[in-house]
Amino acid sequence: MWLNNVVAGLTPGATYAIVGVLLTLMSQLTRVVNFAQVAVGMFGGYISLTLVTKMHLPIFVGVTVGVLVAAILSALLGWIIATWLSEASTSARSAVTVAALLFLISLAFILFGYRNQPFPTIVAGPLFKLPGGAVVSKVTVVVIVLAIVITVGSWAFLKFTAFGVKLRAVSDRQMAAELLGLNVKMLNVSVWFVTGAIAGITVALVGPSASNDYVTLSSVVIPGAAAALVGAFRRMDLALIGGLAIGAIQGLFAGFPNLLIIRDWVPIIFIILFLLWNQRKEVWDVAR
Amino acid sequence: MLRVRVASQEKWWLPLAIGGIAIVVGIIIAVVIPADSLFRPTTILVASISLMGLGVVTGTAGMIALCQLSFAAVGAWIVEWFSVNDIWGNIFGNFSFVVYMLIAGIGTAAIGVVVGLPALRLRGVNLAVITLGIAAAFDLTLQKTSFPALVAGEHVARPFGLGPDFGGDKGIFIFAVVVTVLVAIGITYLQYSRWGSSWKSVAFSERGTASAGTSVQFAKLTAFAVSAFVGGIAGGLFDSQITQANFSSFSPLQSLGMYVLSAVVGSHLIDMALLGGILFVVIPWILQLFKVPLEWSTVIFGVLGIQALTTGSNLGTDIRNGLRRRRGRALVPTEVGLASSDAIAAVEIPRGTGKVLLDIKGLTVEFGAVKALTNVTLAVEEGTILGLIGPNGAGKSTLIDALTGFLPAHGGTVTLNGVPLDKLAPNRIARGGLRRTYQQDRVPPTLSVGAYMRFVSRGQAKPSEIDEILAFFACPPVRTPLSLVDVGTRRLIEVAASIAAKPQVLLLDEPAAGLSHDEHVAFGDRLRQVPSRYGVTILLIEHDLDLVRSVSTSITVLNFGEVLASGSQESVLSNPEVLKAYMGETELL
Repeated sequence: MWLNNVVAGLTPGATYAIVGVLLTLMSQLTRVVNFAQVAVGMFGGYISLTLVTKMHLPIFVGVTVGVLVAAILSALLGWIIATWLSEASTSARSAVTVAALLFLISLAFILFGYRNQPFPTIVAGPLFKLPGGAVVSKVTVVVIVLAIVITVGSWAFLKFTAFGVKLRAVSDRQMAAELLGLNVKMLNVSVWFVTGAIAGITVALVGPSASNDYVTLSSVVIPGAAAALVGAFRRMDLALIGGLAIGAIQGLFAGFPNLLIIRDWVPIIFIILFLLWNQRKEVWDVAR
Repeated sequence: MLRVRVASQEKWWLPLAIGGIAIVVGIIIAVVIPADSLFRPTTILVASISLMGLGVVTGTAGMIALCQLSFAAVGAWIVEWFSVNDIWGNIFGNFSFVVYMLIAGIGTAAIGVVVGLPALRLRGVNLAVITLGIAAAFDLTLQKTSFPALVAGEHVARPFGLGPDFGGDKGIFIFAVVVTVLVAIGITYLQYSRWGSSWKSVAFSERGTASAGTSVQFAKLTAFAVSAFVGGIAGGLFDSQITQANFSSFSPLQSLGMYVLSAVVGSHLIDMALLGGILFVVIPWILQLFKVPLEWSTVIFGVLGIQALTTGSNLGTDIRNGLRRRRGRALVPTEVGLASSDAIAAVEIPRGTGKVLLDIKGLTVEFGAVKALTNVTLAVEEGTILGLIGPNGAGKSTLIDALTGFLPAHGGTVTLNGVPLDKLAPNRIARGGLRRTYQQDRVPPTLSVGAYMRFVSRGQAKPSEIDEILAFFACPPVRTPLSLVDVGTRRLIEVAASIAAKPQVLLLDEPAAGLSHDEHVAFGDRLRQVPSRYGVTILLIEHDLDLVRSVSTSITVLNFGEVLASGSQESVLSNPEVLKAYMGETELL
């Protein structure tokens, strides 16, 4: 029984993990906590929905266009920030994405209407049964694998490829990278493009099996940010584990109706305590 | 150095007068406008109060808090709980609702302190995400538990026996005007109080705040508490208007929208919070009039927000700067610098009383395997100026950090006038009589010169003394906003403020960096007088040997974290080891 609940929590958990890893990447490479991370994916998801149901295009084409739209929207937002806020603080840069989040949600209401329709399904059905009787669905496995691939892939990409090294140089010392002749703006925008595309893919995968109204879907960025917080927006591995753990804990508590209210508070309190411990040496705002 | 005279005056009664006028205007509006049109104006006031609360924690204290409407929800919940359960019967008569609102404010403030606790270690976006997570958890909880009035199927009794009809709406509007005015006056006075100064200071520099003798924790938590109190009051007021709250009015996304709106208008300014409230209500209303989908209003807020945040400005500050420029043109800036101000009568290098005031024994600081300071022993005699020199990286600033409590641990002992300082927090050390200044600019530009002087001196200097000290160091007068003062002068003001705090010992970390040579000389002329004139003993770190020579009773040289030489000027400066460390060996060949 409880195992079933934990497994059920893994799909949202892996989604949080992906969002958490994306947020960590963005924070490390472009100095932004992107509150619109899922919203661009949501927008792309509804584009593909419109293409498939209204224009009767094949699912594959619809989803591809949707993912592209998500990537382009994200790149556009990145371009705005890189153009006008290149020297601004992380807080100011992140606040722009809050405005963008509200913008995208309301634009979705205007363009796609008030009635929510289910997303076209890409992956569905059970994959295998665990000994205790818990059913593991294909979506769960695909999303977990995607989360791990993104984490390991970005780590390897940043560590071993020339492009990755350039990105790290830009994030570490932007001025020095510029003086070395790197096109900082384009590198930044490309990160936005890729993370937007991944957000689009993720929404296309989990959207059909989750509640997919504009607000609920875009708000997945909140538990996703919580997952990123576990790694203090610095470590992708901790963000991955954090996301899965938050999902599992929420699933576990779903089995105890008496604890429903506590369930909503457990992740955030756990994260606050973990961060307070993890950042216990950060007594002052600056080193000297 | 340019000094700008600003003509504004401190008019303590002005907020009261404006508030009184606002109440009169509110009553006129309530009489003139038909009651069925007063719902929106009331909503404007509720939104304005929320924005004022957000302005305290985000605008003034510089911490991003994304849970302002959760505070409003808590306030509404408490008001409803007391109203529905009716535990006090009719003790407070028509004032029951007001009492409930105050309890709601205090209860919400307590929750605000708890929410603010992570802010003591977490900053910036980490804190923003935490507060957003808390808002989300509050939202889920409210969805499940709902509000007491809704659960009981009742409506909250409005204040002062006002009915639920349109006639009651008129009364509620006047009630909202009075509450808004009271909150606005309260916040205005708080902004000018010690608390307000500590919020502005902590937003600029936590270290600077602690060095001014103010607890950073206290500053942050009071900001959260006041912000939550105001949020709770807004929630209670909202309940008096609609009499039955629903969770959907307080969602995290709306808190985010509030934050963006607050950033757009600059809601730490009262008038701008009011403007924000008007935008919050009027933009959707206009769209409704033109039969445009309501979501376009959020699109507009989104665009406005992106515009305001990308340009790094807000309406309120822009308008004020514009006005200030226009007014500033009428005033002729006067060139008054240290060097060109009245000459100070020449005074000899101070001689001490023979009593050791600051006693440092065997001070050792290690950063991992690196020894920054090794067994430093130093005694500062009362009434003297001790010059501390040494090449870059010798450990001078580390010594100051260790003395003033900014390092987690150090070996050895430090006593000030016989009192051990080793285990005290920086703000305790500052209050205990050991103050410091910084190499970097740690003077918050959002304060005026006078507010900064009062904040740092913590009531140790009378207004007349503050004026006198400022004049002595040729600093701008108290009315000048620090944002108009150049960095070199700001550091002089920092020195002046630290002296006004009348510490026993003041540690000056390169106070003259950024001053011209003439100003160095003039600064030295004044510094020599400080021990006798203000009773403050000085330890001076300075690279400019001319300045050190012109003021120091004795000199200590640090090199590689150890005391190389210590004693009278002549003995130290003729010491071949010192010459070698300072000039390099080739210079001697």
